[in-house]
Amino acid sequence: MVGHKKKSGSLALRYVITTFVMLIMIFPFLYLVLHSFAAWDQVDRQIIPTKFSLRSWTWLFGNSSTAAEAPWIGAFIHTIIVATIATFLMLFFAMMVAYALAKINFKGKKAVNNLLLFQMFFPAIILLIPQFLMVSKVGLLDSYSGMIIPTMISLWAIFMYTNFFKAIPDTLIEAARLDGANDWTILLKVVLPMSRSITTVIFLFLYTDRWTNLLWDMIVSKSDSTVTLNVLISQMFGPYATYPGPMYAASVVLTLPLILLFLLFSKQFQKGMQFALK
Amino acid sequence: MKKQNNKLGWLFTSPYLLFTLIFFALPLGWSLWLAVTDWNMMSPTIRFVGIQNFVAALYNPAVQSAFFVTYKFLLLFVPLAVAMSMGIALLVNGLPKLKGLYMVAFFLPYLSSGVVTSLIVKGLLSYNGAFNTFLRAKLGLDIDWLGNPTTAIFVVSFMIAWKMSGYYGLILISGLSSINTEIYEAAELDGSSRWTTFWRITFPMLYPSLFTVLILAVGISFGIFTEVYQLTGGGPNFATNTWQMEIYNQAFVNLKSGYASAIALISSVVTFASIGVIRKLLEKWGERNGWS
Repeated sequence: MVGHKKKSGSLALRYVITTFVMLIMIFPFLYLVLHSFAAWDQVDRQIIPTKFSLRSWTWLFGNSSTAAEAPWIGAFIHTIIVATIATFLMLFFAMMVAYALAKINFKGKKAVNNLLLFQMFFPAIILLIPQFLMVSKVGLLDSYSGMIIPTMISLWAIFMYTNFFKAIPDTLIEAARLDGANDWTILLKVVLPMSRSITTVIFLFLYTDRWTNLLWDMIVSKSDSTVTLNVLISQMFGPYATYPGPMYAASVVLTLPLILLFLLFSKQFQKGMQFALK
Repeated sequence: MKKQNNKLGWLFTSPYLLFTLIFFALPLGWSLWLAVTDWNMMSPTIRFVGIQNFVAALYNPAVQSAFFVTYKFLLLFVPLAVAMSMGIALLVNGLPKLKGLYMVAFFLPYLSSGVVTSLIVKGLLSYNGAFNTFLRAKLGLDIDWLGNPTTAIFVVSFMIAWKMSGYYGLILISGLSSINTEIYEAAELDGSSRWTTFWRITFPMLYPSLFTVLILAVGISFGIFTEVYQLTGGGPNFATNTWQMEIYNQAFVNLKSGYASAIALISSVVTFASIGVIRKLLEKWGERNGWS
């Protein structure tokens, strides 16, 4: 009886410690939200603000920060467009390529596989300058295409899908082929429905990554007509240094959609991670 | 035996192959060519200068600092990330209930943008920032976190460890949950202490997951950009000047494409070799102790 009591006591302590650590870990998010609503003379002056106002938010959605009309709303929309299209292209192409690598028997498959692995370990920074020059030569600087096209293939996504598809029994594919289905139909009607949780995982990682990309979007986007929210916050970092309130509000706008998306899919995500981490 | 279908195989892999040709092979060749020219992005003429860029790069203190800063990040960030993710994993794994909920909460930092993290850290730790004001007023501590080379590199390492530790924690938890609980019961019956149990049972069985985390974290150390670009600009006095930061500055601020390509090439070789060696060492270490 005493032993049991001791055990439940230490378990309670464990929950307290875990909760405490968790609060420290998510404290930056709380700071972000609190300071987006703080009175301007308290932003970054005290850790927990005591006076609140909506000034940062009204400022953000007004026309006061750059020359363009409501640049922050525009930047948010650009972010949605770029991240969504790029991520769906990455998913689509990754699925297609991975299907071939996992389920189609063709000459040269081994070479393609090796090329993929080689590229995954290759330091991509060496490609940055020529990629930028290429995009500028074909006139795609400051365009959505310039931001999307060079980022529409994810080696990691191909790799993850290939491993997952390999675990799908060949007999299933063969059976569908005998029923007269072609490989497109098999991919979309048989393989895709089986891959829901792994797709959720890949989607969330790719979307987060694309949504918060800085380096590429920063060098391609040259004006308010294409700038993404992450890049705009980065550019306004200095000019707003003395009144950072609106920057906190903008950061909430940048971060919240990702958190909501993640929470929305967290069940599927947990399921998918179990496979992804094997 | 599956029958071969060459046409279909090449058709399905064609998006990847085409992309690789345009956005990998072509830029790679171009980069190698740029590295031996003096081109500055503007001038109409391109002059071949041989190994001049490489020589200039090796004598440049900023490039030399990038070389050493990367290893400093490696030595700070990797242990920090491993310790934090291990802490999270051990805390969460022992909970009988709400495990998923806690894991979701610990994963949230992964969704943050480096730009936003930099904004928060600057707000808290810049000289007149909220946390610094608090430290001065309550504890009489006067620390210029971002102005001091030692603390600056620590702050950046910590920011990235904060971001990654929930994700790495997930990897470690999946490793922990694959360990059979009967082993623990047997150890407890044998009177093994918690410390011994961890090092004799948990750690060796966790090594494959830990290896994954280590490799991922090492990779991150060689590609740090956003946080230093945003928060320190590579300073103070090049203390956080990473390869990516240096390449960005030379290519897109100073517009020296040729010179920057040479630095990029040096950094790629250094990165590729370093990661290869570290990987081999980790594998050897695991094998010698019989963990993997």
